[in-house]
Amino acid sequence: MDQQTAKTAAAAIVAGLKKAGIDFVATLPEGKTFELTCAVEQDQELTHVPLCREEEGIGICAGAYLAGKKTAIMMQNAGFLNSCNALTTTSLQFQIPILMLIYYAGDIGDRGFTTVGSVTEPVLNAMGFRTYILRKQEDINEILRGAQILADDSKKPVAVLLTKSVLGVD
Amino acid sequence: MQRYDYLKLIAEDSKDALVVCTGFASREWFALRPSDGNLKTRTLGVVSSVAAGLAIALPQRKVIAIDGDGAFLMNLCGLPTIAQKNPGNLIHLLFDNEVYEASGGTATASRTSDAVAIAKGAGYRNALWVKSLEDFRAAFTRAWKSNELTLIAIKVEPGQPKNLPPLKLDDIENKYRFMRYLEATEKKNF
Repeated sequence: MDQQTAKTAAAAIVAGLKKAGIDFVATLPEGKTFELTCAVEQDQELTHVPLCREEEGIGICAGAYLAGKKTAIMMQNAGFLNSCNALTTTSLQFQIPILMLIYYAGDIGDRGFTTVGSVTEPVLNAMGFRTYILRKQEDINEILRGAQILADDSKKPVAVLLTKSVLGVD
Repeated sequence: MQRYDYLKLIAEDSKDALVVCTGFASREWFALRPSDGNLKTRTLGVVSSVAAGLAIALPQRKVIAIDGDGAFLMNLCGLPTIAQKNPGNLIHLLFDNEVYEASGGTATASRTSDAVAIAKGAGYRNALWVKSLEDFRAAFTRAWKSNELTLIAIKVEPGQPKNLPPLKLDDIENKYRFMRYLEATEKKNF
């Protein structure tokens, strides 16, 4: 797939986030989410906080949520593993929702990171986070909106795993 | 001097600032400035990041992070992130007693590192050590008035007053009271 495909997909995901009410996004990019991260950065309506490590992003988004923002964090699944303490002792402990957009490295058909891929869903399940895998571009709006409603209503983190196909990348 | 002696000085000056605390300092601050605008964090390290999230989301409000050396050292990668967003309404206080006080008192690595140099290296334009109560209060007032992101670091003795009132506040109760307080003072519904 070409760069234009990834750009179109990124634009659709950002539009879906905004339709879901998200207005504050913390990111730590990975190769597959490059265009998506750029699209978040360029969007004037989103407050974007680029991170140095994922766990601090859970803290930043918690603070923003308390101040009335609807927050999302965008990271790779290795970054999700990096965030597990704050997700437990801040998000779950204080009942603070956050929409997690997690690139699913080591997903079916993805080379190079099967170790992380193999523990991703078990760890999400163990932590009690509702998890949805977003594979098709036509499902973007429905899943992002649905997941955000769930996060907001349950006052918990909800995970949406992003795959290569939905991101329009090889 | 202990952390409490310094906190006492700024309790009144902090007015309606939102204050995010960690560790043993929470009990001291809640006693010194009882307010629903106080939040205690539980994850070691995230106090500065939670405060930064508040400050970025509410640029019109003063936000104070009451950090400790153990938490500060755990969240070093949070500092360049904060500096990059550069929220001028955030005052970052670091009470460095060189020990993990809340977990028994073993040494942190702050004896052999320099928090102010770290913050400056991370991009904080204003970061300073203060050595007296007077200098602390002056630095606090300067940070408040200048509206520039500032780290004020102080070496303190471990320990706290024995007669502090217990902090009876569930974490979720703290969250809701904090949010309702913000809704009321910002005149918004979250």
